[in-house]
Amino acid sequence: MPKVLMKGNEAIAEAAIRAGCLNYFAYPITPQSEVAEYLCWRLPEVNGVFLQGESEVAVAYMIFGAAGAGVRVFTTSSSPGISLMSEGISYLCGAELPAVFVNIMRGGPGLGGILPSQADYLQATKGIGHGDCRLLVMAPASVQEAAEMVMQAFPLAEKYRNPVMILGDGLIGQMMEPVEFPDHLRSEPSNKDGWASSGMDHRKSKTRNLVRSLFLDPEQLNRHNMDLRAKYERMKAEEVQYENFNTEGDYQALIVSYGTMSRVCKTAVNMLKEQGIEVGLIRPRTLFPFPEAAIGEAAAKVSCRAVLSVEMSMGQMVEDVERSVRGARPVQWYGKCGGEVPTPEEIIEVVKTTLASDLSRR
Amino acid sequence: MPAQIAINGIVIIVGNYGSGKTEVAINLAVDRQAAGQRVRVADLDLVNPYFRTREARRPLEALGIEMVLPPEGLLQADLPILVPQVAGLIRDPGDLAILDAGGDDVGATVLAALAEAFAKSEAPVRMLQVVNPFRPNTDSVEGCQAMRKAIESASHRQVTGWIGNAHMLDETTVEHIARGYALMQALVADSGLPLVCMTAAAALMPAIGALDVDCPMLAVRRQLVPPWQKPVPLQPEKSNG
Repeated sequence: MPKVLMKGNEAIAEAAIRAGCLNYFAYPITPQSEVAEYLCWRLPEVNGVFLQGESEVAVAYMIFGAAGAGVRVFTTSSSPGISLMSEGISYLCGAELPAVFVNIMRGGPGLGGILPSQADYLQATKGIGHGDCRLLVMAPASVQEAAEMVMQAFPLAEKYRNPVMILGDGLIGQMMEPVEFPDHLRSEPSNKDGWASSGMDHRKSKTRNLVRSLFLDPEQLNRHNMDLRAKYERMKAEEVQYENFNTEGDYQALIVSYGTMSRVCKTAVNMLKEQGIEVGLIRPRTLFPFPEAAIGEAAAKVSCRAVLSVEMSMGQMVEDVERSVRGARPVQWYGKCGGEVPTPEEIIEVVKTTLASDLSRR
Repeated sequence: MPAQIAINGIVIIVGNYGSGKTEVAINLAVDRQAAGQRVRVADLDLVNPYFRTREARRPLEALGIEMVLPPEGLLQADLPILVPQVAGLIRDPGDLAILDAGGDDVGATVLAALAEAFAKSEAPVRMLQVVNPFRPNTDSVEGCQAMRKAIESASHRQVTGWIGNAHMLDETTVEHIARGYALMQALVADSGLPLVCMTAAAALMPAIGALDVDCPMLAVRRQLVPPWQKPVPLQPEKSNG
């Protein structure tokens, strides 16, 4: 298929179909409603199903039901909608069901606003639901990457029998960029025989699969949680993704930034280079698992004097950055939210101020 | 190629979602103002809260182009707001009033609500459909005609001409514009409606001369850019129009 010009929301929708997902349940909310709008006409073309739930709470359990039946299923929403889904997401983690959730973040808290934000970082990576549940969280920075991550998300969800979240800011959903898709990528969960509740007719084994998150026996529940923990540890070992930018040579400061915010930071890094100031950048592509080792190593470079976490939030990822740097360098946060996006000029100013204050301490 | 885009009175810009209506409306306003017409622009996009004409209001106003927008305090509202000044603009458009509608048939529905104002106006009314053949659904004559029918049905008005806005943002080459022009010619033949102009990024304009394009070319200086890019300055060239 040749390149086409698509909004991120449209590309996310098309990517899910290319990944063989023909089941989409959702409730509209700005700034991601174009996903539903696109799938309204596109899913019937491929004999798929789009059903609008009566609320996000209902949608989460429609996902639960479809996932339990062993089909690829996904939903998209934005911040307040994800909050409503959080109980169901915890149930999916507990029942070890694969599904894909896309959060195109808007400003919060509460109803907040409708412009881009990254203020759901902590919710996605640490507090998505009650109990010891975790999501594998991927953060695209372009329309092409959003499409690719959606296509990766389904097999990853099935590999771990756990929901995967694509965490994009409003801009990822709304902006247009050229994008291309592989022609054929359709597939089904390959391991569903072991867990899906899809009837006994075609199953090789004679044991029944039971979809549940209720374990009343404390010993059994503890064992279940230990198994879940082992899965999350395996994600940390096998699924970390990140991008290095301008980190080959020496740099005086290191920026950590993800999503479209990282693209503003890259512009700032290039502008600083022209002024003779080298700054490295690490862009986490997965937020859970977080690229701790890569950031720790990059911060420890002898030339690096400070680390800056730049986010469209009031300082959320900075906690993970601090944890990764382990006190080896001073870590600072810079950010805005509510729809205001830090400009390259502001980031340049913050880098310069940070370097000057670090110098004065020495 | 003919140098001038011949429009006056009321020009409604419609097209499918993401076809580039707003960027076309902004640059058409700049082009016509530079040619000596007094231009006013109304943002009628009641559908999408991102990337609207209102984001370019300051550079446009700096060029003397009057903007008809919801009041400042409601500019960011996720609400369909149609200000009464739009009806006034339709009744008395002056040299040129450009109405930038929202995307698809949904975005064009607002035009039906303005039917009374259109009926009272004596000014010529053109409704131009913007087409980018590199967007889903408008890569064929059939796709563009289907969108035209949907827009006409929702707006209760007829499309009177086409604007070919063939581009792939920063990846656009002259080849893309040539392919877009070929589709637009097929669309003209199928519809019997004229091709009012094609567009090209201002930086690409010198290379367009090599193409055998038999319609005016509108230079586009992109205003609605993501926050890591800068809008291209709206410096209109001197025009003899």
